Amino acid sequence: MIRENWRIGLLVIFVLAAAVALFAPGLGGGVAANATNGNVTTGPTNLQYGLDLSGGSQIRAPLSGLTAEGVDVGPQGGNNLTGQVASELNVSTTDVRVRTGNGSATVEVYSGNVSQRAFASALQSAGYDVQQGDVSDGLTKQTYDTAVEVLSNKISESGLSGGSVQTVSSGGERYVSIEVPNQNRSELRELVADQGQVKTVAYFTIEGNRTPSYCEGPVGTNASGNGSANGTGPTTCNVTALPSQQSFQDVRPVRQDQQTGEPVVPVTLTEEAAKPFTEKMQRFGFDDPANRTCGYGRGGGGHCLLTVRDGEVVYSAGVDPDLARGFASGEFVDDPVYQTSAQNASQAQGLQVDLQAGALPAPLNLQEGTSQYILPSVAQRFKGLSLVTGLVAVLAVSVAIFVRYREPRVAVPMLLTGLSEVFILLGFAATIGLPLDLSHIAGFIAVIGTGVDDLVIIADEILQSDVSTGRVFKSRFRRAFWVIGAAAATTVIAMSPLALLSLGDLRGFAIITIVGVLIGVLITRPAYGNVLRRLLTDN
Amino acid sequence: MAALDVLAVDYTDYTDRQLAAIPLVVLVLALAVLGGWFLMTGAPVTPGIEFTGGTELQVTTGAGQAQIQDTFAALPAVDGQPTVTPTAGGNTFIVTTQSTDTDALTSAAESAGYTVESVQETSASFGSDVQQLGVLGLAAAFVGMALLVFVLFRSFVPSIAVILSAFSDIVVPLALMNLFGIELSLGTVAALLMLIGYSVDSDILLNNHVLKRRGDFYESTYRARRTGVTMTLTSISAMAVMAIVASKFVFNIPLLSQVGLVLVMGLAVDLMNTYLLNVSLLRWYKFEGIAR
Repeated sequence: MIRENWRIGLLVIFVLAAAVALFAPGLGGGVAANATNGNVTTGPTNLQYGLDLSGGSQIRAPLSGLTAEGVDVGPQGGNNLTGQVASELNVSTTDVRVRTGNGSATVEVYSGNVSQRAFASALQSAGYDVQQGDVSDGLTKQTYDTAVEVLSNKISESGLSGGSVQTVSSGGERYVSIEVPNQNRSELRELVADQGQVKTVAYFTIEGNRTPSYCEGPVGTNASGNGSANGTGPTTCNVTALPSQQSFQDVRPVRQDQQTGEPVVPVTLTEEAAKPFTEKMQRFGFDDPANRTCGYGRGGGGHCLLTVRDGEVVYSAGVDPDLARGFASGEFVDDPVYQTSAQNASQAQGLQVDLQAGALPAPLNLQEGTSQYILPSVAQRFKGLSLVTGLVAVLAVSVAIFVRYREPRVAVPMLLTGLSEVFILLGFAATIGLPLDLSHIAGFIAVIGTGVDDLVIIADEILQSDVSTGRVFKSRFRRAFWVIGAAAATTVIAMSPLALLSLGDLRGFAIITIVGVLIGVLITRPAYGNVLRRLLTDN
Repeated sequence: MAALDVLAVDYTDYTDRQLAAIPLVVLVLALAVLGGWFLMTGAPVTPGIEFTGGTELQVTTGAGQAQIQDTFAALPAVDGQPTVTPTAGGNTFIVTTQSTDTDALTSAAESAGYTVESVQETSASFGSDVQQLGVLGLAAAFVGMALLVFVLFRSFVPSIAVILSAFSDIVVPLALMNLFGIELSLGTVAALLMLIGYSVDSDILLNNHVLKRRGDFYESTYRARRTGVTMTLTSISAMAVMAIVASKFVFNIPLLSQVGLVLVMGLAVDLMNTYLLNVSLLRWYKFEGIAR
């Protein structure tokens, strides 16, 4: 008995497993919630919904930059190369990344303004055999991983809940995809548009007219504070004191300074950063409590620490006398804690997020991606309406089937089998945590369509004339199955380019259709044959 | 089913040429439409903003269509006239423009007092990548299907019959899309791919009945047709209902209605191709092709 009806048994097992996956208390809700509510769309299930059906914003964009692979650097090549390429291209050393392994290196430049030709010739003048053809648009997976991590940090630091960041690739090109529910599109864009590189620059007056060689170029596009630029103020010098966020070990939430009332971000430097920072402070006179005036942006000169974000000076301030004494005595090295200020609370908040989350390795190129925003209430409406659409489609199928067969014993199991297919598929979606979008709904409806087609083939084959013996049943079932299997194979082949090429939003549709067809052919449709046999024959 | 009786034609009354003529003429006409479209617009079909790049906004407002048009046309970012299409409720409009300056568009909409329901923006470069992939995916799917069909039947004429009718099942809906003003979108590409799977079902069924089973040609064809027409009509009814229910006149879920509409067209064409073109090729093969 069991041996004969194993197909039905298998179907029951899968339906139960899907029910567990859908309704077992987990992420979404519980059995109790479902019992009281009974409505699949309001969230008692473990199903997850994507942007289309839950609302929110999504931005997809590539990182700007170029990659040269297989640069033959030998065992020692790396460090030198970064500096050489950076100075050739006139970009910061933080914008060049060299990863070495087995004597060859992958060199990336994190800028949208460098041409492939310029990058290749920079590597050539550094003494490496690189042709323009070796340089490709785009950045490595490692860089994308870093970017994803930083963006996730930024989103959680800024208090947005439920956001997700991931790398998606489409036709060999990588994109960062950022999704945040209930978030206004422009706010999200603002949060991720900037690279958020924060560095601290020491700005100070120098005696005499000769600019020492350790001085760096002017900082920021608004170089007004730099007195020497217009020749009226004193000669000044810029030296990077802290090159990036990596110098900070701990960043505290924004608070108000008790004396000045300004919003400040308390920070602690790392051990590695504290010593060179203190030495620079001592060397350039920041350790003298008398040098507390800062003239940056107010006539120039003095001793200032500039907070520079993505090349813009966002804040300038003199060193507090207590802090200066700490630099002088060297106590600061052991307790490298100070606070960096900002002009207003929102700027301080932004600075805190940048310091805490880190900087994007390369800027996002928002001009070459996509963005999407759906009002949550509209998405909710889509969710309900697409369920209704699916049900209406099922109803249409039912009517067609009843008109054709006029035999409930054939038609009812057919519909139940078709629905169980969708149910198992929903269980699959819940199990792998697939966020359902409209394209998946289209996939579900496609599965109902192909499913019922196959059930019609089985029914017609078996109902040809009386099925008297098990042997006749078996041979007819096998013949029906050849057609079904062949049709399923073509559907899988037709959909697999989409699933593999991952054409953005159609991937979900292709995956649902393929998995649905497989579930149908392997589990539900054979079971229907078995049900028919039970109902129409005595054995 | 009533439609079954309509299709219960007596094939013996017609020659192979007569049977094949109708679907072939339709296919040639469809190709002519696509060719003409290519000459006129530079592309065989009209790609939507998902492929050309641009922004689609859905706004709700009490304002009229012309007023909305003016609001967006006045923006410096918008080059030329944006398209404004009203939908079901009467208060919801879909605005489409080639501009990707979404910030400007949404803030213009908000300052005019419209509620922005959704914004979808695709950059031109991303769109052209997606389009390339879409064409590649469609071609790969078709070639994969063709190879599989050859493996399944291992004879030339029946395989070609399946492939030709699948080709026609895709080309005719593409031409109809042009005539009905439906743009190529991700949804319609998905539907076209789905058509490859759907259309081959009934062809495989027919070939299987005629080639792999004992019995008279007309008897086999009749059985295959009975099953196949039921399948296709069931699918057509499901898709037609989906296309209507999801259309902008009822629920306004564009993706689902596009998929439904393209599938209805494709499946209807498939009925013609399978039971006229495919049958005639198979009959020729069975009675003359094998004998030679």
